[in-house]
Amino acid sequence: MLDLILLAIRNIFRNTQRSIITILSITIGFSAMASFGGFIQFSFEGLRETTIRTQLGHVQIYSDGYWEKRVSDPASVLMDNSDEVKEILGDIPGISVITHRLPFSGLASVGRSTVNVSVIGIAPELEEEFSDFETIIDGRSLRPGDKDAGVIGEELQKGIGAKIGDWVTIMTSSIDGVINAVDFQVVGIVSTGSKEYDSVFVKISIDLAQRALETNKVERVIVLLDDTNDLTDILPIIKSKLKNLDENFQIRTWVELAGYYNAVVSLYTGIFNVFTFIVGVVVMFSVANTMTMAVFERTSEIGALRAIGASRATLIHMFLWEGLGIGLIGGLCGVGLSYFIAYFLELIGGIPMPPPPSMSEGYQAYLNITNDVLIKCFLVSIFAALISSLYPAYTASRINIVKALQK
Amino acid sequence: MSSISMKSVSKKYSSGDSNQEVLKNVSLEINQAEFTVISGPSGSGKSTLLNLIGALDNPDSGEIKIDGIEINSLNDKEKAKLRNEKIGFIFQSFHLIPVLTACENVAWPLYLKGVSRKERMQKARELLSLIGLSSHMNKPPSQLSGGQKQRVAIARALICEPSIILADEPTANLDRSTGLEIMSLLTKLNNENRVTFIFSTHDDMVTSYAKRQLFLENGNLMEKSTESNKFKEACNA
Repeated sequence: MLDLILLAIRNIFRNTQRSIITILSITIGFSAMASFGGFIQFSFEGLRETTIRTQLGHVQIYSDGYWEKRVSDPASVLMDNSDEVKEILGDIPGISVITHRLPFSGLASVGRSTVNVSVIGIAPELEEEFSDFETIIDGRSLRPGDKDAGVIGEELQKGIGAKIGDWVTIMTSSIDGVINAVDFQVVGIVSTGSKEYDSVFVKISIDLAQRALETNKVERVIVLLDDTNDLTDILPIIKSKLKNLDENFQIRTWVELAGYYNAVVSLYTGIFNVFTFIVGVVVMFSVANTMTMAVFERTSEIGALRAIGASRATLIHMFLWEGLGIGLIGGLCGVGLSYFIAYFLELIGGIPMPPPPSMSEGYQAYLNITNDVLIKCFLVSIFAALISSLYPAYTASRINIVKALQK
Repeated sequence: MSSISMKSVSKKYSSGDSNQEVLKNVSLEINQAEFTVISGPSGSGKSTLLNLIGALDNPDSGEIKIDGIEINSLNDKEKAKLRNEKIGFIFQSFHLIPVLTACENVAWPLYLKGVSRKERMQKARELLSLIGLSSHMNKPPSQLSGGQKQRVAIARALICEPSIILADEPTANLDRSTGLEIMSLLTKLNNENRVTFIFSTHDDMVTSYAKRQLFLENGNLMEKSTESNKFKEACNA
């Protein structure tokens, strides 16, 4: 087998110019796939962390029955034991923050302007990590001790015309169904990166939110990890620890809650797959052309090999090894070129990108070439090279020996 | 037992609407270690006859046996194995693999036979030394002269220790002195190794080495003569 592989490698470089062009086409195709995949991964990672760190956290814990009753009877599924939950989870390594929230919807008014808002009551002393991905446009973020203060989204600020220092009134229904109102002073205007979210975003202290809803309970406990990749390891620990408490809980991870993120991943993955398919087809034609030419040029040699006892299978193997070799070399060069492109983008500070749909800010794009992307591109290169070698290899194995020897 | 046995073998080639009968009911027995030359004008069917004996082509009718094995009944894989183990080929245009060295070219049939690399390279080196190419072992065919290439091809044909060597015009691409050299070598190998040699040629020099001469004309095979003087000389050399 080794000799057949060595023969294949020597045959690859027999027509150096043609082989280099073929290998180059695979290399460019590979690096195009890997760069696109790396860009998508970078975008996914950015969107994922924005989603997690501004809204969802990594894990959310609710009272049992929350998802069934959250609309019909929200008051019945509020948590009154959030402190116990936070205490029991507090010593798990890898957890960055455990906080609680009380979100609700209402109407915000400043002067004559009234708009729908989505209010989140938070504990400012626990939420510094969550602010990482909020950009302060004006003023400041919430601080521990802020009782009647709040920050609002950039788009909301434009909608109601509120300025730093203005008082905003929020009207909502308490958990008993009574209309209630609370006031807060705008201390900051922020951008979360999502235009849609910014147009309804209000963040106030949890005390003020509890006053608005006339309760001392919270809706959910949110767990934020140091590293998103640790979720699969930490989630089972969280679940087992919660079983030690008397009550049952419902647990959702960010993956289950991030509908927009999942839709974006699905869309871009689909586009990447189509792109990969197109590149794969181009690679296939390039390798098929080279291999067909090789068979055509080496007809008499194939005849001689058959005459001295090479079976059809041996010839098929020989040409498949050649195709595989071309795919491997092209793939390896592609890995190098992809890393070079990623490194070059780091050097020049990325590519400025416009704001994505529904986002308010552009960003600098880099390539996050992950092992998954590389493996996928590598498999496509090798698979395409192998598939395209099949027919030439089969043709070589069926060559008439007598006619071949006459060439 | 005959090394090669052919009974009523016919072969036609189609070209457009016309059929040309290249071999007509040819019957032939060749014993082990015979040094046979098949001569005849161009297009008389010499190469076709060798191709049929070498299991490279199938007859339209008739029976061909190599060492008692009926080759028409073999499938492609079995024929490849038969060619590898029992038949050595020497071609007019050498047909060496250009990307392999002389030694690797000689050793390649043993690779197909499944012999280990160490063993086959050792044997190839021995054979190349035997035919006077010890200083050219690691050269690719492009760096060898015509005579050296043909010697490599001869070593390749011999490496599996076949019972039959088929040589299709082996001296046609060589100058006269190299051709003589090659024929002397083959005669010596025939004498020492008791391998059956069959040549096709229309070169009188090659014919003069024959122990047995056959003549092909219009698809008919005829026995021609007796052992030649050259063969005797070469054997005695």
